[in-house]
Amino acid sequence: MDEHRIDPDEERRTIVERYTKGREKIRDQIGDWEDPQNLVLFTDRYGFIHDQQLPPRLSKHEAKVRQKEISRTSKWLKMLEQWDKYFPNSEKLRKRVYKGIPNSLRGEVWTRLMEVPQVKKEQEGRYQELLDYGLYNSKDIRQIDLDINRTFRNNDMFRDRFNAKQQELFRILVAYSVYNKEIGYTQGMSQIAALLLMYTSNEEDAFWSLDRLMSGEKYAMHGFFIDGFPKLQRFADHHDKILKKFLPRVYKHFKKFDINATLYTLKWFFQCFLDRVPFSLTLRIWDCFMLDGEMILTCFSYTLLKLHKRSILDKSMEDLISFLQIDLEKDFGYLDDQAIRELQIAINELRKQKMESPAKTNTDAEKPTRPFGMLLQADNVSIMTGTDDRSIAGSINLKNSDSVSLAQTSRTSSEVDQNELENTELDDVEVNDFCKIQRSCSIYDNVDINESIEAAKRLSELTTNSDQRGFFKLQITLS
Amino acid sequence: MEDYKYLFKIVLIGNAGVGKTCLVRRFAQGVFPNVQGATIGVDFMIKSLMVNDVKVKLQIWDTAGQERFRSITQSYYRSAHCLILVYDVFSQCSFDSLPQWCRDIDQYAGAAIAGNGRNVLKVLVGNKCDKDREVPLHIAEQFAHNNNFDLFMETSALEAENVEKLFREIAEILVSRNQESNGGTMSRSITSNSFNQSSKPSNCFNCFSN
Repeated sequence: MDEHRIDPDEERRTIVERYTKGREKIRDQIGDWEDPQNLVLFTDRYGFIHDQQLPPRLSKHEAKVRQKEISRTSKWLKMLEQWDKYFPNSEKLRKRVYKGIPNSLRGEVWTRLMEVPQVKKEQEGRYQELLDYGLYNSKDIRQIDLDINRTFRNNDMFRDRFNAKQQELFRILVAYSVYNKEIGYTQGMSQIAALLLMYTSNEEDAFWSLDRLMSGEKYAMHGFFIDGFPKLQRFADHHDKILKKFLPRVYKHFKKFDINATLYTLKWFFQCFLDRVPFSLTLRIWDCFMLDGEMILTCFSYTLLKLHKRSILDKSMEDLISFLQIDLEKDFGYLDDQAIRELQIAINELRKQKMESPAKTNTDAEKPTRPFGMLLQADNVSIMTGTDDRSIAGSINLKNSDSVSLAQTSRTSSEVDQNELENTELDDVEVNDFCKIQRSCSIYDNVDINESIEAAKRLSELTTNSDQRGFFKLQITLS
Repeated sequence: MEDYKYLFKIVLIGNAGVGKTCLVRRFAQGVFPNVQGATIGVDFMIKSLMVNDVKVKLQIWDTAGQERFRSITQSYYRSAHCLILVYDVFSQCSFDSLPQWCRDIDQYAGAAIAGNGRNVLKVLVGNKCDKDREVPLHIAEQFAHNNNFDLFMETSALEAENVEKLFREIAEILVSRNQESNGGTMSRSITSNSFNQSSKPSNCFNCFSN
């Protein structure tokens, strides 16, 4: 059987090569089965492909909505010019977000609501380093490739195997998998990253947006995607509490069928309703999520069940699950505007009882415990540091590198001969100015500084007997 | 009340990307989904069929394949009447993971099911048999035999090959087990005439041939 075994390194190289070359160059290697075979008859405004002709004209309602959106766009443009005046606390901004961000400005507004421009500036050059490192070292490349093969293939952007958007999606997920090693890659992230790619203006923005969603305090999705999914249970428990109090009959109905909240809320929470309600409504919920964060997950879950309470109570177990998992995505039964208005009502209702969010967790199980972007693997690195422990509690910035980091990061996948690197050993490289360790609050703001120090120490086997300047010595063996 | 005589829970497990969801959708909806997203967590489908003039309802639970989701999906093993472990005949890697899956099954589904003293029905499925294979049939057969699978089949959700047959045989076995136990004849043997006569002996057999 051994001749069938696949060398993981070779598999990784093969996958990386396909994405690096892209569709045009490897066309003859792409099997028929790798592309969707259905006819493209019509593409909607979001790029989704339909096999049925859509009505030639917009419905009256849709036409009205579009008209409104056009008139709102100019208001938004003005607001974007004076963003600091409105963000984060202006009531006008909140009102407009809940009315729906114009689709043409959605990407720009989302990134501003997530404060991506600041992070990107602080982390300039970093994405490329992570990517270069990830393409050689990520352990998740196989799973990422598998999932890109089935991420939004019904959308024009991601339809063709190894096309430009699939290449970008691959790079983002690979870079993230080495950046946040506690998550690496978890299924569900590819759709989030793809959605971000649909709206942000470039892949680097999408990458830092993904980072904000995972580690930004407002969204803190890290706790959903790490092993054991600790945040899922906390949110599902709170969801049950809300049902018990506000929708006791619905609660009993679920109980009767032994339907656990984690079954049907998992995708609501992990992907903020993506794939569980129609795409246009998903976007509206994401608008609110970008502004108000995790509370939206709780409040819209309640809204959804409240709106559909009557039909839920009529359903058998099987019908109920397919209603929540399949039917609502096809037809939500309410207009997007109505649903969002109901969401606002639900927020107020839950706020009065202080139930709009679960109680804050008093353990650290959901939070990142390791510094992000430690590109040097613990097994291969020993770091000796001097006086300033605090300095390690951020991300290692290798961007001014001239020796060590070259070997690890500053290379492009096509240029490097892997064999050459495999036998390279860098002994006792002095890492002075070029290896600045800096705290970057924007990517690390939900981690206690002392914990980060501890984590970094553990990770890097820190010892404290080096020179007084606090500089580091790295001993790197490339494997 | 609904008009079925038996309700069986079937849980599909196996590595990511082996085609679990496509199998379920082929069976339950008669389609091969062109653009099927990854399953996150657990999904669910239902399908009724007639077995010897008796209406049987199959509740099919479809699970995420990525390893870290096992903490969630394992909780569904316990109440299952049947576990279908799926690998991809085109992917040696998915086959190499089977021992780990078997350990999980033993650990989480070992308990008696439905109060009749039976263990869960274990089925091994090699999917995507329409493609070039990496996993030879005889090796998979041997594996199924050595690991006490009750049934082994190769299927193609794409070509609709053996999919209907797979679920039909499962339903038949479960029905006959139930009838036996109801009739007080708690025999370990689950071979019944209906599935001894395999129409495709080349890639479908019943491991349980005592």
